[in-house]
Amino acid sequence: MNAVPIVHFLYLAAILFSIGLFGVLTRKNALSVLMGVELMLNAVNINFLAFGKYWGSASLPGQVFVVFVITIAAAEAAVALAIVISIYRQWRNVNVDEIHALRG
Amino acid sequence: MTAAVFYVLAALVVLSALMVVALKNLFHCALFLAVAMFGVSGVFLFLGSEFLAAVQVLIYVGAVTILVIFGIMLTRNVMDEKTPARNSQVGLSLLVAASFLLVTLFAVAQSVFQWTNQPTGPGVPPPSAIMNDVYALGPALILPSNGFAFAFEFVSILLLSALVGAIVIARKDPS
Repeated sequence: MNAVPIVHFLYLAAILFSIGLFGVLTRKNALSVLMGVELMLNAVNINFLAFGKYWGSASLPGQVFVVFVITIAAAEAAVALAIVISIYRQWRNVNVDEIHALRG
Repeated sequence: MTAAVFYVLAALVVLSALMVVALKNLFHCALFLAVAMFGVSGVFLFLGSEFLAAVQVLIYVGAVTILVIFGIMLTRNVMDEKTPARNSQVGLSLLVAASFLLVTLFAVAQSVFQWTNQPTGPGVPPPSAIMNDVYALGPALILPSNGFAFAFEFVSILLLSALVGAIVIARKDPS
């Protein structure tokens, strides 16, 4: 299983992160922004596991960090969807460009 | 042979991630997000963490995507075909994302990883002895001697409070 060098995992993670970043920056719908964030978090997880595997003896902290990242991502998705549904009830809209009631 | 499987998986992940960002129909975006997450779990298998691959399928494919689909269905009819799916910053965002990608790829390509493909060394156990081991992950999370016990309990409390907060935010006002 060591046929793939680590840099290819890092390339994949960088490409995935950039795609997610582009989605977060351009999309109007709040749910699309959330999907872009999930893509970015997955890219970070690939990086953690790649470095953890190729580091050798200290590989376990990589997996532990990914456990924490997945947990925080699940909490973030739940809270974000609750906020989106609450905003939809109030404004009948989930367009992040038009929801600026907190703008100073 | 196994390397070819990785490159097929990576192409699948990148293509479905592009579909998530590019498609206009939100429902199709969520389905392609599930495909991308499934591909990422395959990449996790290549990185020797079977437990996290299973967790990835359970949480991302099984829970987060379903949650997003529920959100899309509950907020339906707000983004009809006439409203553009993107804001007016597509060019600037493309510049930012492309420059980030180029800088990161350049940095990775220029870096020298001395332990690349040489996980075995003097005094270093082979990766098969430490990876592929679900039994090592549980004690690392629970036992106080490993240093992760406090963070594990803390993140448990955080997850619980986030879920309670999500219920409080999303419920109707009892007015």
